Amino acid sequence: MLQYLVILLDDTSISFCHYSVNKKERNLISLDHLRKGIRFGMVENLMIQFVYPDYTLPQEYLDVIDTIDHSSIKPFAALDSGTDIVVIDDWECDATKLKDSVLVLRTNWKQFYENHSKLKGLLNVVQRLNVVITDLERMNDCDRENYKAVLEAMCKDIEALYVDGKSPQFNLLTDRMILTEMNNCNAGDTTITLAPNGKFYICPAFYYNDENDNVGDIENGLVIKNKQLYKLDYAPICRKCDAWQCRRCTWLNRKTTLEVNTPSHEQCVAAHLERNASRDLMLSLRSKGTFLPDKEEIKELTYLDPFEIATRWK
Amino acid sequence: MGNIKDEAAQWLDGTAANITFIVTKDCQLACKYCYLVGKNDKERMSFLTAKKAIDYILTSSLFFGRQKSVILDFIGGEPLLEVELIDKICDYFKLQTYIRGHKWFDAYRINLTTNGLNYHTKKVRKFIEKNITHLSITITIDGNEIKHDLNRVYKNSGKGSYKNVLKNIPLWLKDFKDIGTKVTISSADIPYIKESVLHLFSLGIHHLYTNCVFEDVWKEGDDKLFEEQLSELADIIIDNEYYKDFTCSFFSENIGKPLDPILENQNWCGAGKMLAVDAAGMFYPCTRFAGYSLREKKPIIIGNVRDGIDKNKLRPFLTLDRTTQSPQKCLDCEVASGCAWCQGENYDAAETNTIYQRATAICLMHKARVRANNYYWNKLYRKLELEGQREEFEKNKRKVKPVDC
Repeated sequence: MLQYLVILLDDTSISFCHYSVNKKERNLISLDHLRKGIRFGMVENLMIQFVYPDYTLPQEYLDVIDTIDHSSIKPFAALDSGTDIVVIDDWECDATKLKDSVLVLRTNWKQFYENHSKLKGLLNVVQRLNVVITDLERMNDCDRENYKAVLEAMCKDIEALYVDGKSPQFNLLTDRMILTEMNNCNAGDTTITLAPNGKFYICPAFYYNDENDNVGDIENGLVIKNKQLYKLDYAPICRKCDAWQCRRCTWLNRKTTLEVNTPSHEQCVAAHLERNASRDLMLSLRSKGTFLPDKEEIKELTYLDPFEIATRWK
Repeated sequence: MGNIKDEAAQWLDGTAANITFIVTKDCQLACKYCYLVGKNDKERMSFLTAKKAIDYILTSSLFFGRQKSVILDFIGGEPLLEVELIDKICDYFKLQTYIRGHKWFDAYRINLTTNGLNYHTKKVRKFIEKNITHLSITITIDGNEIKHDLNRVYKNSGKGSYKNVLKNIPLWLKDFKDIGTKVTISSADIPYIKESVLHLFSLGIHHLYTNCVFEDVWKEGDDKLFEEQLSELADIIIDNEYYKDFTCSFFSENIGKPLDPILENQNWCGAGKMLAVDAAGMFYPCTRFAGYSLREKKPIIIGNVRDGIDKNKLRPFLTLDRTTQSPQKCLDCEVASGCAWCQGENYDAAETNTIYQRATAICLMHKARVRANNYYWNKLYRKLELEGQREEFEKNKRKVKPVDC
């Protein structure tokens, strides 16, 4: 069931996920489409998330946006008091401006390894940190080992923060400890995107990848064919998996396996490295005292990719 | 010559790897039901491409790590147009498995399905004699002259091919004594099913593998006519006791039952567990995903002879199950068992670019088959019981492998 409507306010709106924004020219959504998008969100009872570009919008746009309760996703350059989620893809930004923010940090593998020591500082400042690996699908054996090592090191940092009485929220390590079921991207199932051209897309990535790959438009409504395939129950690998923090990126699924419901090997391995590190973190924190007593222990697994045992499920 | 029937049972029990070489996209015929919409006389596999494919396959454990034996399938178009190339490919395979000490050395079979028109030629005879101990060839003859020529016509003249195929049937049955043939049913030839099956039995073809085309070709009333034809055929087979010597896969005891969503959730089709390679050296999960097989969709390429297989592209195929791809009416169906699907046709007919939407064009035809099948077995078992022959029949009956595609 749909719950969220993402509205891209401009072709150059910031990416907050795995995809890259390949449009360089400003192309603001029309006021008409914006109004209709907001109305669609209202009548369908959806929470609207506006995704901003790095420049200031005309006042009439701000006035229209203000007619509905919403969340704002903004680039660091447009950060202001009305920002709910701020996105950076530069490790050198001024962290003091990020106090108590919900931060999305986009990074590739290489930058991640080079800069991961800065994450503890960010976690000290922000309310929540989501790290998005932008070249996740290119993970190789070397990345696997490096990622595992970085997550292990991060566990120690997170543990220290907890010992200091803080409750850091870090998508790669703390989400899995708290979750009780899959909590993924859900594009096409609970979330849909309206692009500046007035057309609906499964998520912004589908718009930037191919504008013709739309699922209806604001004038004629949403038409998602094979809608069931965006639901967890229709994902044979994922529905029995317990890497609940996995992004399960619909777009990366289709890019790598050609099916929206099937994750790549790399997605599964990355998610399981995170899951396993979360397990270690949870065990370590529990060894120091009571920690999330109502949550079940994360079980030990013998695999990093559930595909390896998928045939046993059938 | 060995007993092909017994050997086939071992080879087709699912433990053998299957590699399909699309050696040509050319064919003398233009069969009206043929799913190969992109046939042409340009795309012929080079020996170099075939060599590269074999080199990759013999060194790759990703795809073929576990299987102890392999089936080399050659398909077209009409594969025997390229019999010399096929012979070279087989020789290269044999040589390489020997040189490499590969487990498939002498653990291979060569499979061909042909329209039969060139079966008698010197080149083909030479190939058969050379490879007979590892070879299985099926000639497609669709039934009696009327039925066969309704669909299986020459591409240039539009004339039926029956007479020219028929000439080669005795030779074929001499080479492969207990071989069967595949009979394909489309809308136009339903009225001729009964006569066609009996005709093929009369030619000495003892095993018929029959299936309705998966494409959406069916007209209103086809299912009734189909049931009538099969029921009349059932009467004749039973009354004349043809069931003692012949099998026809229309009639199978295991079809027409509800399926358990958990215990009987496997995919029907083997796409993804086999590998097809075409003239351009592209790999496909089955020939049905190559461009020349698809009406509406782009091909699904899972790799190539240079870079190997992209394992991510295989994941959807290898995790696909029945319930995930089936609409609710199939999950609720009380006669679901034996209702087949072709993954390639599912993909081609799907509303989006997915293999996860099952096409159901054959629904009514399957249900008609189930009714006739129930009639057949009820009648046959009653007769056998009255004659005190049921136990004997059970002991000797031949298992009929369902035809996938």
